[in-house]
Amino acid sequence: MVTKAEETELNQLENQVENGGGGVWEYLCLVRKLKVRRSELVLKHGLSILNDPGKRSSLGPDEWTLYEQVAIAAMDCQSLGAAQNCIKVLQKKFPESKRVGKLEALLLEAKGMWEEAEKAYSILLEDNPLDQVIHKRKVAMAKAQGKPSSAIEHLNKYLEVFMADHDAWRELAEIYVSLQMYKQAAFCYEELILSQPTLPLYHLAYAEVLYTIGGQENLIAARKYYASTIDLTGGKSTRALFGICLCGSAIAQLSKGRNKEDKDMAAPELQSLAATALEKEYKQKAPAKLNLLSSALRSLKL
Amino acid sequence: MAEDLVLDTAIRDWVLIPLSVVMVLIGILRYFVSKLMRSSPSPDAKIVKEGQVIIRARNLKAGANFIPLRSFRTRRLYFSNEENGLLHVPKGQGTNPQAQMFSDPNMAMDMMKKNLSMIIPQALTFAWVNFFFSGFVAAKIPFPLTQRFRSMLQNGIDLSTVDVSYVSSRSWYFLNLFGLRGLFSLILGDENAIDDTQRMMQMGGFGFDASKSLGAEKDGLDIIQHDWALPRFEQRAESVLRKLVK
Repeated sequence: MVTKAEETELNQLENQVENGGGGVWEYLCLVRKLKVRRSELVLKHGLSILNDPGKRSSLGPDEWTLYEQVAIAAMDCQSLGAAQNCIKVLQKKFPESKRVGKLEALLLEAKGMWEEAEKAYSILLEDNPLDQVIHKRKVAMAKAQGKPSSAIEHLNKYLEVFMADHDAWRELAEIYVSLQMYKQAAFCYEELILSQPTLPLYHLAYAEVLYTIGGQENLIAARKYYASTIDLTGGKSTRALFGICLCGSAIAQLSKGRNKEDKDMAAPELQSLAATALEKEYKQKAPAKLNLLSSALRSLKL
Repeated sequence: MAEDLVLDTAIRDWVLIPLSVVMVLIGILRYFVSKLMRSSPSPDAKIVKEGQVIIRARNLKAGANFIPLRSFRTRRLYFSNEENGLLHVPKGQGTNPQAQMFSDPNMAMDMMKKNLSMIIPQALTFAWVNFFFSGFVAAKIPFPLTQRFRSMLQNGIDLSTVDVSYVSSRSWYFLNLFGLRGLFSLILGDENAIDDTQRMMQMGGFGFDASKSLGAEKDGLDIIQHDWALPRFEQRAESVLRKLVK
């Protein structure tokens, strides 16, 4: 995760670079270190360095890393010609390299030649069956071709070996949600919560999946997770506040005819407090919509 | 006994400094040689998987109170199920790391290379020190020591009346052996500052003992009592909101 200090430094360097100041190389190094996706800027400024032979030779051995970075950025921006040039240079320098092989396969993928890319990745995998990046590229290809079930299959196989990779779990959860397989998505989000229990994002996502599945027990659990999101974000998550109100009304509807003792009374005022907090926030940030909000909340409580 | 011996400055010029310089150079040489000889480790799929299983089991232990009881139970069963649970190591098959070590030629070669690259320079330097730099007092340690250290520190000096603070060059050798880590971290960059003490520790360790850690994780999981923390969160959220709307 990127820290606050790093984020400010990144933004500062970005401004500096965009407005014609120096510091391009530091910016590119920082982008590489933090693994953020700033492909347009990287492409523009990286190419400006690479096309200038003076600056290029001053980089020394880092030149090749820059070629790799610019190649990937070019593919992200769909300027395949620039990517092809960079890869050609790298191929000349490092003829039998696996890293360059990965870039070539990536270029095939970017051009949309799925079978060739698939073949290239399989060859790379034979040499190194435990390469995480290649496995993930296969998943990305399946997703890009619009075959989510195949992507799920690949991801599951990947996760059987690398089960501590929480990015993969997150990706799997999102694919499941897009396919409406909510129970499986809930499982993935539980994995994520286990690995990073203090991250409100996962609590929120889990709560939403639980709310979508529905049913008394799940709604009660969803309410608890919305509450934990509020606690972890200090009350600032609007979505969680809405979630609590909706859960409260859904639970009330479900248990209308039933015994009132079943209702979970751990925090009885939570719903009204959430409504008040929402109104306060709307007053501050979007006063035009306040009436809409109030009427919606009133209809919920009924 | 309490009188101060005056040590010739020539000792400092020709013993202490050259000895340190030689040890530093040998350390650097060893670093480069090991870099050349290092064979890229081919990770075994099984070992990687076991490592990841352990991380996941640890996460389960740490975050158990954040997921509902049923999910926790399913996961725990998945891990410690008697027949095919991930963490379950059947009694007979727990891989004996030592047997594995010697049967796998690659690992045996690696072990040997590591050991050799450590032992030979140490032995050579020690012999060199003994041969050239023995029989005289090399330095004075600034704090007083008991008589027990005499045999260790005053090896070449055959006078029993000399104060134990006056030591031979062998002790300077040992001092350098254990102390040059700081210097190496400056020269070679922070990650490569493994000096001899650490390498000696590495020699003893036998590599990743998977079966024991798996068993340990399984026991850890079995012990846990699940205490769902979420209801508490609801109350905390309430108080947070109350403060917010006040």
